Amino acid sequence: MKVPSHYYDEIFDFKGQWDMPSSCGLKIRSVDGVTYVIVIELYQENPGTSVTYAGQSLAEQICACKGLDLEKIVYWECNPDTNSKLSFYDEEYFEVDFHADLQHRYRRLTEEEVKRVLS
Amino acid sequence: MDRIKLKLIYPKWQKLRGQTTFNLPPHGPVAFAATLPEYVDVSFTDENVEEINFDEPCDVVALSMMLSTQVKRGWAIAEEYHRRGIQVMAGGISTMLHAEETVNHVDSVFLGESEGRQEQVFEDWKKGCLKKVYNYMGQQPPIESVGPCRRDLYKRELYNHKGVQMVDLFHASRGCRFSCYPCAVSYLGGRKFRPRPIDKVVEDMASIDNNRLFIVDNSLAQNKEWEMELFRAIAPLKKKWISHTIEDDPEVLDLAAKAGAWYVYQAVYDTSDYIKERVKRYHDYGIGVEGTILLGLDNQTVDDCKRLIDFLGEIDLDLAEFTVLTPFPHTKVYDDLLRQGRIFDFDWDHYNAGQVVFQPKLMTPDELQDVYDYAWKSFYATESQEAKMFRLFCNVALREMNEGTYRPRDRKLANRSFGKEVKRNIGTK
Repeated sequence: MKVPSHYYDEIFDFKGQWDMPSSCGLKIRSVDGVTYVIVIELYQENPGTSVTYAGQSLAEQICACKGLDLEKIVYWECNPDTNSKLSFYDEEYFEVDFHADLQHRYRRLTEEEVKRVLS
Repeated sequence: MDRIKLKLIYPKWQKLRGQTTFNLPPHGPVAFAATLPEYVDVSFTDENVEEINFDEPCDVVALSMMLSTQVKRGWAIAEEYHRRGIQVMAGGISTMLHAEETVNHVDSVFLGESEGRQEQVFEDWKKGCLKKVYNYMGQQPPIESVGPCRRDLYKRELYNHKGVQMVDLFHASRGCRFSCYPCAVSYLGGRKFRPRPIDKVVEDMASIDNNRLFIVDNSLAQNKEWEMELFRAIAPLKKKWISHTIEDDPEVLDLAAKAGAWYVYQAVYDTSDYIKERVKRYHDYGIGVEGTILLGLDNQTVDDCKRLIDFLGEIDLDLAEFTVLTPFPHTKVYDDLLRQGRIFDFDWDHYNAGQVVFQPKLMTPDELQDVYDYAWKSFYATESQEAKMFRLFCNVALREMNEGTYRPRDRKLANRSFGKEVKRNIGTK
C-alpha cells in the first residue's frame, strides 16, 4: 500500500503526537497569489502520527520550516489513492480550517477544485 | 521510605447488553507489574470482578486501562484517590489512545511499553517530582526484555465460571506490520512485527498454571518461519489455545493444530468462496473458528449486512462476534469520519463497538444499530452463545482427556461465577 510518489514533491518529517517521529508527503503550490500547502498521508511509510491527528501542529511545523504564515495559506489534507481494493483508501482532498470547530473543520474538495491547483 | 505500596487497578466497564459475560484475567496490569522495581509491593484489583477498597492503605495508585470504555471510570477513580491525597498514574492502551484527556485527570501518564522504564518513574515519585508525562511512544524496548507477567497477582477464584478456569492471556510478539483501517495497534506498538525469542515464549508459557490460553498477538500470520518455529516449540507443552488469524497454509495449519490450536478469531468481511474455504480449512485441521464481523462499513447497506449475516449460516462458524465500526482515536477510520463530520458522539463510554457513534454512509445510525442487534439474535437464534461455547469447551476437554492434561472443574466453585454466587438448575425440580 505504498503511496505513489507523484502525490508529493518531498517527504516532510515532523514531530507527531507526543513528539513521535512522523512523516508526510508535501506539496506547496502558488496559484493566483494564494499559497496552498498540501500534506499527503503516507500510511505504512509514516512511522508515527497521521496528518489528520497531527492537524494544526503539523501545519505550524511546515510553516515554520518553509517561512510561511499559517494565517495566509490554504491548507489541504490528502488521502492518496493507494490502488487498494478497499474503498476507504480512495483519493480524497480536504481543505482544513483550523478556526472552525472539529465538526466543521474539514471541507471535501471537488475534483475541479483539486485540478485547478494541482494541474 | 524503603518499600512502596502500589495499588494497581483495572477499571470496570459496562458490558455489552444481551451477551454472555466472561471475565478473563487481564493481561496489561500483570505485564506492567512485571516491570516494576523490586521495592514496589503491588496490590491488584480488577474492578470487573471485585469492588475497589478505597480505604486500603497505599502510597500511590496506578490505573491500567485497555478499553476506551474504561477511561472515564479511570478518571473517576483518580478523583476519589485525589480526595484522599494519593497520587495516581495511568498507563495502558486506552491511556495512550486518550492521553490528551487522561493527563488532565491523573498525576502522570505513561505512554509506551513499560520494560526498563519504571525504575525512573518510581525514583521520580520518591523524590516528589513525578513527571506529568512519561513519553516512550515509538521507542519500543528490546523485545528480549519482555519477561513473564506477574500472574501471581490474580485472585484466581474470581476468573472462574462454575468451576471452570478462564483462559490466561499470553503474548508471543508485539507490534504489527499491518495497519488495518479500524485498528490502532500500529500507532500503539509500532508498525514493525517484534516476535519474542522462542525460548522465552516457551519458558513463559510453561510457567503458567493453566492449560488453556489466549495468545493475544494481533495476528500470528506475520512471519511464517517464526510462526512455524513457535508452533513446533510450544507443541510439547500440550497447552490448548485461542488466537487471532493463523497463516493460511496447510503446513502452518497442521503445525498449529499439533501445537494445540483450539479456535481462532477470523474476520468474515464478505460472502466469498475464499472466506468459506478459509473457514473450512481451519475445520479440516480440527481448529474451531469464531467469526468476527464488522458492520457499518461505507460499502454496506442494510441488505448487504443481512446477506453477510445469512452467509454465516452457510460456513459453519463455531461462534460469531459482531461489532459496529467504531472510530477509535489514532485509526484511519477516526481520521476519515472526523474529516467528513460524521462522528456525532465523543462519549468514550459509548465506544464499546456495540453502539453506533457515527453516521454510516448507506444507512441511518438507527438502521445500523438494528442490524447489529439482528445479527446477534439471528446467529444465536437456534443455539445460544453459551451452548455454542459449551460445544467448543467439550471439544477441548476431549482433546485434553486424550492427551492426559484434562483438569476436572473445581467442584468448590461450581456455584460461583466470577466470584459471585450463582444458582444452578441442574438437579433441581
